[in-house]
Amino acid sequence: MPQSLAPKLPRRVFMRTAVCAAALGASMFAQAAEPLKVGYSDWPGWVAWQVAIDKNWFKEAGVDVKFEWFDYSASMDAFSAGKLDAVFMTNGDTLVTGAGGAKAMMVLVTDYSNGNDMILAKPGINSITDLKGKKVAVEVGLVEHLLLRNAMKKAGMKAGDISIVNAKTNELPQVFASKDIAAVGAWQPVAGQALKAVPGSKAILSSSDEPGLIYDVLGVNPASLKARRADWVKVVKLWDRVVAYVNDPKTQPDAVKIMAARSGISPAEYLPLLKGTRLLSLEEGRKALVKGADYKSLYGSSEVANTFNWYNKVYSYSQNVDSYIDASLSNEK
Amino acid sequence: MTAASASPWRARLGAHQRLLLALGSFALPLLLWCAVSYLPFVWHPQVMVEQPGGVDYFQPGLRVDAADFREQVAAMQRAHLPLPTGTPANPIYLPAPHQVAQALLTGFFTAPEQPGAPWLHESLWHSIQIIFWGFLVSSALGVPLGIVAGTWRLAGRLTEPFVEFFRYLPAPAFGALAVAVLGIYDGPKIAIIVIGTFFQQVLIIANSTRQLERTLIEAARTMGARGPRLLWRVVLPGILPALYRDQRVLLGWAWTYLIVAELIGTSSGITFFITQQARYQHFEQVYAAIILIGVIGFGSDLLLARLGRKLFPWDAPQQLA
Repeated sequence: MPQSLAPKLPRRVFMRTAVCAAALGASMFAQAAEPLKVGYSDWPGWVAWQVAIDKNWFKEAGVDVKFEWFDYSASMDAFSAGKLDAVFMTNGDTLVTGAGGAKAMMVLVTDYSNGNDMILAKPGINSITDLKGKKVAVEVGLVEHLLLRNAMKKAGMKAGDISIVNAKTNELPQVFASKDIAAVGAWQPVAGQALKAVPGSKAILSSSDEPGLIYDVLGVNPASLKARRADWVKVVKLWDRVVAYVNDPKTQPDAVKIMAARSGISPAEYLPLLKGTRLLSLEEGRKALVKGADYKSLYGSSEVANTFNWYNKVYSYSQNVDSYIDASLSNEK
Repeated sequence: MTAASASPWRARLGAHQRLLLALGSFALPLLLWCAVSYLPFVWHPQVMVEQPGGVDYFQPGLRVDAADFREQVAAMQRAHLPLPTGTPANPIYLPAPHQVAQALLTGFFTAPEQPGAPWLHESLWHSIQIIFWGFLVSSALGVPLGIVAGTWRLAGRLTEPFVEFFRYLPAPAFGALAVAVLGIYDGPKIAIIVIGTFFQQVLIIANSTRQLERTLIEAARTMGARGPRLLWRVVLPGILPALYRDQRVLLGWAWTYLIVAELIGTSSGITFFITQQARYQHFEQVYAAIILIGVIGFGSDLLLARLGRKLFPWDAPQQLA
C-alpha cells in the first residue's frame, strides 16, 4: 500500500526508502545472523523462561534468542504462519497445529500439569460417577475435555452418560454459577475464579490425578531445527538452569517475583499457579522422552491426545506421533 | 422573544448552560456508580467474608451470595460453632470509583514490576501510534477514492458495490491472514484498523460528496471546468467541511477496532494490559484502562471539533458540535 504514495514523494526521499528496503531485503537472506524467535505465553512452565531472559543467560550460553510474548492461541497462529522458529504449547496442540500444516518437533518437555487443570463440581457431587445424567461445561476439544473423557473411561462410564455443554474457558466461572450446570472443566487461573463463583464447590478431579496426561513442550519448526540444531541444543541445555533456579528454595522467591511480573500479578497470587505445574528437569524430561504406552511417556500421552483429537474431529487424519518427537536434543549430554 | 425560544425543547442554550449540562451528563452516571458502590442498600448482592468462623469453605476475602452467607450463619448457630463475619459487597466485576481512581494513579506512577516492560503511558502511546498509522493509511486511500466515487457516477458504480459487500466482512476475521502476510508486530494490527475503517470511509465520503449542491457543479461545468480542475476548484472546497466532520466520526470508528487489532500477533499496547488484568480479575485496572481510552478518544475529538470551528467558520454544523 505505501508504494502507491511513492510517486508523490520527493525523488530523493523515494530513493532513500528504496535503498533502505533493499538493505532490509538483503538482511533477510542473512539467516545465520537472525536471532531464534520463540513465542511464549501465560503458563508457569513457559513463563519460567523469563528468568533466563531477565538474567541474560542466553547470551552467556552463546545463543541469540528472542522471546515474543503472546496470547496462547495467537502464539500458535504466529507459528502456523511461519513467523516464529518455535513456540511453547501442549503436546496435544502440537498435533493440532501440525495437522493444520505447521509441523513442530517436540524437542523439550518443560513440565506437566500437576493440578492446574481441574474438573470442578457443585456441593454434593463428590466423584465423576455422581455426574451421571448431568450437564458438564467444558471447551470442547481442549485439555479439560480430554481430562474428563479419560476419567469417565477409567470409571467405566459411556460417552453419553454425561451431557457436555460447550463454553469458552474464560466464561466458565459465570457458566458454573448457572443452575443446570453440575460441573465445569477449566485450568488456572480461571479454575480458581470458578471455585469462587460457586461457594462450596470443589475440584473432584485434577491433572494431579493423572500426571502426564498433558505435557507442555517446546515445538520447533523442523527447518529451523535442521539449519540451527547446535543453537537449539544450547537453548534446551539452559532449561536445567532455569528449573534449578525456580525449584531451589533459596532462589524461588526471586524466580516467582520475575514470573509474577511477566504475568502482571502479585507473587503471592502467582505461587499457587506454580505449585500446580510440575517443572521437569532435563533428566526427568529424558524419562518422559522414552517410548512408552502410558502417561509416563510423551509418546503415550500424545497418542491419547491424538485419538481424542481424531475422535472429536479436531482433525480428520490420525497423526503419526513418533514423527513429532525428537528426543535427541534433550538426550545430548 | 422569538417563537422558537418560547418552546423549552428548542430553546437556544447559552455557553454557560451548555457547559453545565455537559458536566451533568458525566456527573449523572458517576453518581449512579457511586450510589451502587457506596450505599449497601442499593445493591450489594454478596458478602465479603472477614472471619470464616466455623464454615469449612469460607476464607477471608471470599465473596459469597448474601443468601448463602445467611444460611451458613444459621447453620453455625445450630451447630454452636463460631459465626462467620463479613461485610456487604458487590460482585468482583463492579469495583468502586475510588478503587478505579487508585488503579489509575498507581498505573501512572509505579514502575512496572518487570524490568524493561512498558509503563502504562508507554503502552498507551504504542496504541495511539497504531491508531494513527491505521487511520492515516486508510484515509490516504479512502478519502481520494470516496471523493472520486462521489463525483463521477461511473467511478461510483464501479467501486461502491464491492466496497458495500466488503464492509460487512468482519475485520478481526482477517487476523490470521494479516499475521501471515505482515508479520507478528505492528503491521497486522495496523492492517486490521485499515480494514475496519477503509470501506466505511469510502462509502461515507462518497455520500458526503454527492450531497454537494448539483447547481454548483453544473454552474462550474457551464463555465468550462472539467476533470481535475472541477475536482480541485469546486468539489473539494465545497465538501471540505463535511469531509472534516466525516473524518472525525471515522477516527472514532478506528478506535473501536483497537482492542481486536491489538490481540493479533505479539501482545502489546493497552489491550495487553486490559486482557491480562481481566484474566486475573483485576477489574479496577481494566476499568482504569478503559476510561483512559475514553478520555483520549473524547479529548482528541473535542480538540478536533474546536479546530473545525476555526477552520470552517461558515459551516453551521461545525459551530454546533
